Amino acid sequence: MNDTSFLYPFLEDHEPDPSQLLADLAASAKIKLDESTQLIGQSLEENTATLTAAAGAIARRLSLGGRILTFGNGGSACDAMAFARGSVGTGWEQISVRTLAADPAILSALGNDLGAEQMFSRQVEAFGGRNDTAIAFSTSGQSLNLLTALRVGRQRGLLTIAVTGYGGGAMANNPDIDYCLIVNSQSVHRIQEAQAHLSLHLRTLICDQASNTGERL
Amino acid sequence: MNSGSRHEPLDPPAGHLADLLALSALALASRFADGATLWCVAPGRSDHALHVAVEFVHPAIVGKPALPAVAVSEPNMTKSLRNFVRSGDAILCVGPGDDTNILDITRRGLAWGAETIWIGWGIRPPNGDGTRPLWLASGQDSEIVRAYHLLWELTHICLEHQVSLSPQTPSPQTSSAEASCQTCADQLAVAEVVSVSGTGASVRTSGGVETVDTSLIEAVVINDLVLTQAGVALQILDNVGTGEAQHE
Repeated sequence: MNDTSFLYPFLEDHEPDPSQLLADLAASAKIKLDESTQLIGQSLEENTATLTAAAGAIARRLSLGGRILTFGNGGSACDAMAFARGSVGTGWEQISVRTLAADPAILSALGNDLGAEQMFSRQVEAFGGRNDTAIAFSTSGQSLNLLTALRVGRQRGLLTIAVTGYGGGAMANNPDIDYCLIVNSQSVHRIQEAQAHLSLHLRTLICDQASNTGERL
Repeated sequence: MNSGSRHEPLDPPAGHLADLLALSALALASRFADGATLWCVAPGRSDHALHVAVEFVHPAIVGKPALPAVAVSEPNMTKSLRNFVRSGDAILCVGPGDDTNILDITRRGLAWGAETIWIGWGIRPPNGDGTRPLWLASGQDSEIVRAYHLLWELTHICLEHQVSLSPQTPSPQTSSAEASCQTCADQLAVAEVVSVSGTGASVRTSGGVETVDTSLIEAVVINDLVLTQAGVALQILDNVGTGEAQHE
């Protein structure tokens, strides 16, 4: 057994024929594409109420002049950037949203001088205001620097939201977190794919709610 | 929920995409086995280029080897890639089929000797641009992310299964730009002009820098793409977008 054999248990080591390998890879890729689609649908169902409530709370704060701050580590940092980027033509361009995971000068200064735990919490201290929203992306729900930033955010009066996997980890039922979106899967990759779709829905709902309020964004 | 109809769970033509993912992964694994670097571009969606790079360099699954992948940032992606890419490298592009930056990069990839994989959606790129298209039902982020997640997973499987990772992995499409001449059987090749001198030019090809005769075509300028055969430039390829090489 090699160390990815658990991903593709039906593949045998040292297959002599690339065409057989290609067929096996395509078959397993199809299974994973289907799993991903299934998990996306399931995650939307399981999080419908939370998505709607979170979008309403965020939209209310936006209407009061608040901003959205997003963050995460590694691939989840990219998810945080994607949330801030939004998608063209949705009205998202008028929302004040940016990521705390994209400035290498700030991140390296904080990481080197204060440690990874404070990479985002110090930025929440610096940038976070009473009407703002903090959104953390984590596949595990366990990242210490995200938990710390959400706690600091809560102390400063921000609305706090977590997008998680693995059943939510330490972010589920956490008193520092107002809304926790949870993808119930044990696969980091499948979790991120479902999170990307939850993130799209949340943005869409925020735009809907914000336009319904008819107030300044 | 009220927006559900706008973002139904995704259902791309999974079988076809799965086949193309397998082919692309084997090609990419072959390149990595030979020492390639993977360069990633995602015009307007740099988060995806960064995500691909971190996926390969710092895998989420413990025990995977780090593989060299780099996000190339905007602007001037073509200029950066021209300096970074070595023959044998790979380029992963993420963007819609009508993205002129990517169209330009995939074509220049032929001259640079790069394997080019395109995670795309919408209008398919025309044949002849020498890319391996991984075409999605839409450009939704969840679809894009799972395409490169699976590419990463399959690439590692190929590397670990120690199949013969030959660079001649079958291409999903024949590039018209690299077809053979029917009468003389010499290979047509895409080349990028490096310098110009009288009726000749130094051009970059997948095999290195060569000198070609340019007397059959109008005056070329640096960074023009030309079609060459047996040491002769036959045609200047149309500028598809970023337009670094501008003719008066």
